[in-house]
Amino acid sequence: MGETLNVALPKGRLGEKVYKLMESAGYGCPEVLSGGRKLIFESPEGTVRYFFVKPSDVAIYVERGAADVGVAGKDILLEYCPEVYELLDLGLGRCRMCVCGVPGREPVTGKLRVATKFSRIARDYYAGQGRSVDIIHLNGSIELAPILGLSDVIVDIVETGATLRENGLAVLHEVCPISARLIANKVSYKFKYGELTGLVERLRKATEV
Amino acid sequence: MGWGYTRYRLGKFEEYDIYAKNRNFVAGGAILTFTDTDGRLMALKPDVTMSIVKNTPPAEALRKFYYFESVYRAEDPAAGFGEIPQAGVECIGKLDLYSVSEVVALAAESLKVMSERSILDISHMGVLSGLLEDMGVEARYREELLTLAEGKNSHEARALARRAGMRDEDFELFDRLVHLRDRLAGAVGALEAMELGPRAAEAVTELRDIAGALGDRDNVYLDLALRSDARYYTGLVMKGYIPGLARAVLSGGRYDGLVRRLHQEDGAVGFAVYLGLLENNDTYAPGVDVLIIDEGGDAGELTKYAGELRREGLAVRVDRAAPEGLGYGRLVRFTKEGPVNG
Repeated sequence: MGETLNVALPKGRLGEKVYKLMESAGYGCPEVLSGGRKLIFESPEGTVRYFFVKPSDVAIYVERGAADVGVAGKDILLEYCPEVYELLDLGLGRCRMCVCGVPGREPVTGKLRVATKFSRIARDYYAGQGRSVDIIHLNGSIELAPILGLSDVIVDIVETGATLRENGLAVLHEVCPISARLIANKVSYKFKYGELTGLVERLRKATEV
Repeated sequence: MGWGYTRYRLGKFEEYDIYAKNRNFVAGGAILTFTDTDGRLMALKPDVTMSIVKNTPPAEALRKFYYFESVYRAEDPAAGFGEIPQAGVECIGKLDLYSVSEVVALAAESLKVMSERSILDISHMGVLSGLLEDMGVEARYREELLTLAEGKNSHEARALARRAGMRDEDFELFDRLVHLRDRLAGAVGALEAMELGPRAAEAVTELRDIAGALGDRDNVYLDLALRSDARYYTGLVMKGYIPGLARAVLSGGRYDGLVRRLHQEDGAVGFAVYLGLLENNDTYAPGVDVLIIDEGGDAGELTKYAGELRREGLAVRVDRAAPEGLGYGRLVRFTKEGPVNG
């Protein structure tokens, strides 16, 4: 038997979807679905050990080697640039990172005020366009910013666009598509190479199904 | 050291000028500076290699040094400046195959001292970049493709390759090389069997020669996607890993570009070991070959006995009891009658 793989999964709906995918790829651990307050779950045959953490923390667990692999949104990877391998696009949790605002009220010149949770992504996006911006970092309710005049636009994740529409906002530009990615610690990849490449292969087949 | 390298000692400060002129070569870019009493702008050394190259004049013989020094850098800008203790090796001068292979062998053996399960990854940055050039991929896409390759990110690299107009079969070859992983000796054989363009093939030849000189070592692997953190490495790069650490503990390679920038004609190769990482590692416990427990033996006889063992090249510690956590190969009790094994 190979070594146990430590897998960090994001808490919540995405984590549940990822676990189902892992299960279909042959990495089941029935205890995960039992509910309760347990934080760590090990499969009966000792192949994998799962733990559920805050979605934005998955990359930190993997980068620091507490987890060998994990599943994190591309938004988190772009924002924090962790030193990890990005091995697979799982195709789950698909959405878009977008510039949104009140249609027709986006200033075309001058310094643009941008409210966002994703400061680095916003800065990189506008740097690529040579546009000067004033980044206003917010932690939630980003849609309020352009409505109250705090910012000209926002850069945020858009799933269905329902919240935007209800508040008179619209997508102005798409920055990049977002989905869940399988990431791995660089040192784990060297020492658990067989286990990790096996996992990637089986997950790739499961996602193709 | 049994390899004949000379200890190089550096001061903690250097004139800022050298780093200002070569700012692109300093990882992270941020440097701690202060004004000296005579008005000169000084820097706390952010890098050892640059200092050694600058301060050692070219000579006919190779300049072979090792050092134990701290550098001062802001590796993570959010965390601020920190002191980073390093040990390292530099070999500067008219390099030949032997001298390059010796430094690689020294890196592989240094890792073995840290852990029996260590891994040294080797790459030649010219293989993948040469391959993309040979394939006619535009420069603006090449850098991004190499960055994605370094992250083993095939899915985004494939999408970018399509935008760059790469043929599917070209991308498949590129991706195969990115994921090629085997012991160096075997992997180079596999590389030679592939049909590569002239630039990539030239870099493969360099790797083949090094692999040949090294012989088949069980902890030296090929990872062509490897790139170095320090921007002055060109061509050959290497990174070393031991289990239990979340990042590479050793990093190095050839830095001919830096040497030439500092107006010297020669080449250079070296590596650094990040000692700070080892401090918190449970799996790294430096031990001794022989632990002698002094049970009231004659001090003169004991000195002579320990000295003889050390002359055999063994690391010997004499103590009154076994220190907690210290590993040792052999235990000897030294009584009034002399040494007793076990």
